Amino acid sequence: MARLTIENITKSFGSVQVINGVNLDIAHREFVVFVGPSGCGKSTMLRMIAGLETVSGGQIRIGDRDITNVAPSKREIAMVFQSYALFPHLTVAENIGFGLRLAKVSREEIDRRVAEVAKTLQLEMLLERKPRQLSGGQRQRVAIGRSIIRNPKVFLFDEPLSNLDAALRVQMRLEIARLHQRLDATMVYVTHDQTEAMTLADRIVVFNAGRIEQVGTPIELYEKPANTFVAGFIGAPSMNFIEANIDTSRGAPAAAFGPAMLPIEAARLPEGPIRLGVRPEHISIASDGEADFSGTVEIVEKLGAESLVYVQTGFTPEPVTMRAPPHLQVSPGDTLPLILDRARIHRFSADGAAF
Amino acid sequence: MERETGVWRLVFLALPLGVFTLLVIWPLASSFYYSFTNWNGFSAEYDYVGFENFAKLWTDKLFFNAAVNTVIWMVAAILLPTLLGLVLALLIDSRIPGGSVFKSIFYFPICLSAVVVGQIWIWIYQPDWGLLNTAVNAAVGSDLSFAWLAKPGTALGSVIVAWSWQQTGLSMVIYLAGLTSISEDLLEVCEIEGASIWQRIRIVVIPLLTPATVVVVALSVINSLKGFEILYIMTGGGPFNSSDTLAMHMYNESFKKYLMGYGSAISVVLFLVALTIIGIYFRELKKVDEIYG
Repeated sequence: MARLTIENITKSFGSVQVINGVNLDIAHREFVVFVGPSGCGKSTMLRMIAGLETVSGGQIRIGDRDITNVAPSKREIAMVFQSYALFPHLTVAENIGFGLRLAKVSREEIDRRVAEVAKTLQLEMLLERKPRQLSGGQRQRVAIGRSIIRNPKVFLFDEPLSNLDAALRVQMRLEIARLHQRLDATMVYVTHDQTEAMTLADRIVVFNAGRIEQVGTPIELYEKPANTFVAGFIGAPSMNFIEANIDTSRGAPAAAFGPAMLPIEAARLPEGPIRLGVRPEHISIASDGEADFSGTVEIVEKLGAESLVYVQTGFTPEPVTMRAPPHLQVSPGDTLPLILDRARIHRFSADGAAF
Repeated sequence: MERETGVWRLVFLALPLGVFTLLVIWPLASSFYYSFTNWNGFSAEYDYVGFENFAKLWTDKLFFNAAVNTVIWMVAAILLPTLLGLVLALLIDSRIPGGSVFKSIFYFPICLSAVVVGQIWIWIYQPDWGLLNTAVNAAVGSDLSFAWLAKPGTALGSVIVAWSWQQTGLSMVIYLAGLTSISEDLLEVCEIEGASIWQRIRIVVIPLLTPATVVVVALSVINSLKGFEILYIMTGGGPFNSSDTLAMHMYNESFKKYLMGYGSAISVVLFLVALTIIGIYFRELKKVDEIYG
């Protein structure tokens, strides 16, 4: 069983603490994706699991085995790098069989297993080529081949698709998803691409400033973000944020912003101003007399399957983004009456936490 | 405008081309020309002798002796600084304490002229009070006064040691530069895949240093072919021609025996050998380029 447990892990470089007490339990065969902005500590966390970075405090376990201070090669992990990290002087077959060669496995056995892996990854025709003679996607498949040949318990991926073009990225994403279905292994995947995170992950871990902001399934994070950071980070285009005040002058509490007053229900209302979060697909054009507010269209982005309409409201610092049907006839300068889907409005207190 | 640029190009090229012609092309062509004559180096009269000088090479025992010594000299003068430079670079790169100090110390001899290096090593090898014999005597309590440069068995080897001492620093810095260009990710793959230090060096680091090795070997070949001064200073080709190389033999024939025509024939042979080596080098360079880009 390859359950991966991370307990109270900290990491400091000199006096700078980059990971602040991370706890995480990753189940056997689970696909967990670490996301977060640059410098949030997600790659450092992955490298600590790999053993390429030492741990300043805490414990990492695979199954019941404490691997915190175990050499990388003894951890039963494999890692796929963003740069592919293929040896330029070795052929595809030699790159894939690299670990077995080091372990002094017999020539015949290496050939047999390389052939098996090559078949899985459709690399059979390329075995005698050098990495320079391969495309980006092929190189990444070789790197994956090198990692699967040793049957590791945990696969670590460090932004493996970042160097590929958009079309190839979609294709490789599918291949990694298939690989996960087929292999009996736990996978930890670092990316800053949230589409990759949403499509691949069983669970996503959102990192920020060296700590975990939220852990959950992609849909949980999308629908129930724990705070404004996760709400703003997950989803493209980003969630719209609207500053509001709680108004109790008419009895029932309401969130007041611009000309709008939206009834608000909560067991305990926070003190001070609040922030409302609305996804672009939860804003629509209002029928007569129903509008919460109106705004002026600034830009319309036609994406084919849908259009993104950016509307200046006068009470939000940034224009509000609305997801609209592709053939909606609006032009910059038009005034649009807008209504929010009340059931889908997220509410955050002044410190950013959802309530 | 276009025409004007062309003229200026010629003007700027004229000086380097002129210098190159005067110092390289002209002497080269002259050597070829004189190798077919019996010129003595100073008289105005000489005769065309055809291939006589080249035919004489076949019967000249000293020429063969010099050719063998040249092969020994080149192989050692290429291998020793290359291997020592690689070992030193790997040690310094492994972040041993004081690495940068060692780097400066090992690089220092390359800043000296070959004549100075030769003189330093003459003192080191001096039989009575030289550093080498004194150190050996101090270490084992013997009374050694071995004349390293005056014995046919040790003269060439002793010069090779002095030469390697000077040249190692150069290959070391080139290898150090090569080591820094190896991607950290590749070394981390070694760590994850469980490579021992020796496996990492043998299977990954040394092959990845191939571009650096190509440069080191090229410079070693060029320097060893030019390595005339240190032999001239330390042994002059002696004793009994035991450290006589082709360059030294050519010098002796041309300027000591005044057989400029014959000396030129030796220089032509040396030139053709160098040309062949350079040809092989460029062919290998192309292969390396294809792999490492």
